[in-house]
Amino acid sequence: MVSLREMKDKEYIPQKMYAKMFIGGAFSLSKTILFNMGELKKLRKLPPNAERYIRPKRDYEIPEFKPSMKVINSNEKYLRPTLFCDHHDPEVVAFAHKFGAFKKSDREYAETAFEFVKEHLSLEICPLDGVGVTFRRGTGTCFHLISAFIALCRAAGVKARYKVFAMNMIQAWYETTVEADPLVKKWYDSMGYFMLEGEGEAFIDGEWVVAHVGPKAERQAAAGIPITKFGEDSIGRWFFAIPGTIMRMESIPYGFSGSTKFLKKLAPGSMERVNLSILKQIKRGRKIIEDAGGVESYDRMARAEKGAKKPKLEIEKTQKIVFEE
Amino acid sequence: MKNNFDEYIKKFDTQVQKYIPPKENWTPSDHAVYGVKDFFRIPIKEAQELQFKAIKYQFKNHYENNKMYYGFCKEMKITPDNIKSYIDLEKIPLIPGEFYKDYPNGKDFALWLANIFTGDIPQVKIKGKDPNFDDVINSFNATGLVVAYSSGTSGRHTFIPRDRKTFDISEYAIAKAAITMTYPIYNYHMKGYLLMPNPFKTNVFAGKVCTIYYDAISEVTAAIDREINTEVIKLSMTGTGGFKAKLVQKYLSRMTKKIVNNIIKFLEKNSKEKNDIVFAGAPFFLYAVTKKLMEQGRSFDFSDKCAILTGGGWKVHEDSRITVEKFRKQMQDVLGVKPEHCVDLYGMVEGNGWMIQCPEGHYLHIPYAYYHPMVLDDEFKPIGFNKSGRFAFLDGTTYSYPGFIISGDKVKMLEHCPVCDRPGPVLEPEVTRAAGKEMRGCAEEVRRMISMDIGDE
Repeated sequence: MVSLREMKDKEYIPQKMYAKMFIGGAFSLSKTILFNMGELKKLRKLPPNAERYIRPKRDYEIPEFKPSMKVINSNEKYLRPTLFCDHHDPEVVAFAHKFGAFKKSDREYAETAFEFVKEHLSLEICPLDGVGVTFRRGTGTCFHLISAFIALCRAAGVKARYKVFAMNMIQAWYETTVEADPLVKKWYDSMGYFMLEGEGEAFIDGEWVVAHVGPKAERQAAAGIPITKFGEDSIGRWFFAIPGTIMRMESIPYGFSGSTKFLKKLAPGSMERVNLSILKQIKRGRKIIEDAGGVESYDRMARAEKGAKKPKLEIEKTQKIVFEE
Repeated sequence: MKNNFDEYIKKFDTQVQKYIPPKENWTPSDHAVYGVKDFFRIPIKEAQELQFKAIKYQFKNHYENNKMYYGFCKEMKITPDNIKSYIDLEKIPLIPGEFYKDYPNGKDFALWLANIFTGDIPQVKIKGKDPNFDDVINSFNATGLVVAYSSGTSGRHTFIPRDRKTFDISEYAIAKAAITMTYPIYNYHMKGYLLMPNPFKTNVFAGKVCTIYYDAISEVTAAIDREINTEVIKLSMTGTGGFKAKLVQKYLSRMTKKIVNNIIKFLEKNSKEKNDIVFAGAPFFLYAVTKKLMEQGRSFDFSDKCAILTGGGWKVHEDSRITVEKFRKQMQDVLGVKPEHCVDLYGMVEGNGWMIQCPEGHYLHIPYAYYHPMVLDDEFKPIGFNKSGRFAFLDGTTYSYPGFIISGDKVKMLEHCPVCDRPGPVLEPEVTRAAGKEMRGCAEEVRRMISMDIGDE
């Protein structure tokens, strides 16, 4: 039984912004559902002859776990187990040792964990479950993948946490598809409260380093963007966070898993179509990478094409700005 | 004819004197704006000289007084010494427009604004523990600066900090471009209708830059006469925000109906009194007015007594968008406004360049005495004339931030207007958004698919 103190301490209780979005979203989505019951049918099933989603086989073996393997047992913030992220799971411990836990430097180790999670675990929209299950399945939502990265870090004594934000809609798509139909717009907007994006962050050499583990190289190639490296933030590059919605958390909060389960119940047909679409993106991206001569040369090309360099801005304090509280 | 035009501009300059700095203090940037009578009829060689001096002057200013831009130039290995002649201008490092969209929240937003500013900022006092965008902007603007922002169709605003001098140039340039292209229709006694928020009650650039309208014309009515801040825009543009957003959207919808009725009353009154009138702002309102008049089987005849200057796009009314040709035809059919008196303007918060359609061919003419336009390919290299690409520019008039920008718009630039005899470069009339690279996160994938399923008939 988790005490109230622990709930607060480990941030199981949602932050104010998260709670605000969650309540607002529940109200908005309930209303949308209530007034559009007929439309729900479309979300529930696939046509009889439609292509079905078959989960891809994972492309790795799970290393053998030995009870003697060292693992961090700490109650320190960002190093302890949290909801859906228990780094004591045997799969996590075994992988941590395979990746050089307690042997490599924190940065080298985190980079290895990042590369593995990003490039070997595939995106699949499914209800949230533990990290051990994610490694066994080889797929998961971006939150499964972030948890996998965080668990690997914590198992090796590297502090890690979640960075969660609501993403701005993609304007080109929004204009052409969503705005064209008021009903679609209603659904899209009401879902925006729950559909949070995220990244991991690992504490290395005195600073938090971001890990955007969600998309594997093939998906990024399919989108025509460079392959994210460890330390490269998705925000400001290919995502824009809605101002004020960026939250850092030790744990996935209560309620988050419920919303993914609800979505699966609400729209199983749509979920399957998302997963099919992801597989197609991966296939398309693989071809793009092959045609480019491999991941590295694709990345070079994509970065060259991205071309327009931005200035670097380090925000410095100035006496000219006075805050009066 | 020339004398008449000189007299026409002189009258305008008299009305807007407060926007023009004393001549003895003019910099090369001021010469390129205030020192020319007709932005669009300067001989090319003369314009290039003015442009070179203005842009080089500003490049040196930002290189020496803006730490962020100095670092960027160092990285690109370009210094003011590399800019020796007109052809060197395209070496000046360009900042992608997205840079000005990538800002933090709260107190850090204030520091971000201070850090992108060129030169010294005045002391800014910001109240509150967790100031929002509007708190910060209003605090900056209370010192005499003019921080303004784009409407942020995508839900993300572009924030640009202008000092008074830079903002005055922008206001003067937009008004001068407008009256130049609609020559000889402008006179101080016209009655104006601003199809935008009241400039004194908003920091949205498209509205704010119209303050000069109130000085150039004797009587102006603003269509939206309430405070419009980032929160209201967010709620009305993006649809997020639940109950509050619904309320705002309902209010805006009711307000639009009211505005349409007010504009019809304005037309009736001025038709009766035989006044000259001028509309400036978002085309949607006039589209809605003329649609309503058509439904009522009514029309007006303002043939030589009305000018229409549109700009700013259709925003939340994108679903009603009609082509510029259709728009002009509708204005002629219902209001009697001659197509040559109905012109569109293209500009953006990131710069002081106002491209305006010529009455003869409706191509967008560029004020090339202070503004160097470029079209870039996918690798962000200039591709010259007659090819479509991303619009970029070097603005020689921005003192307080580097106005050397790669925009998000797709254009085609021609060396001359194919229709009229003005000598400078033009853009083809329809400007579109350049296709961007898209990455969808897993949440966005789900959201998109459900929405598509719902919309799939």
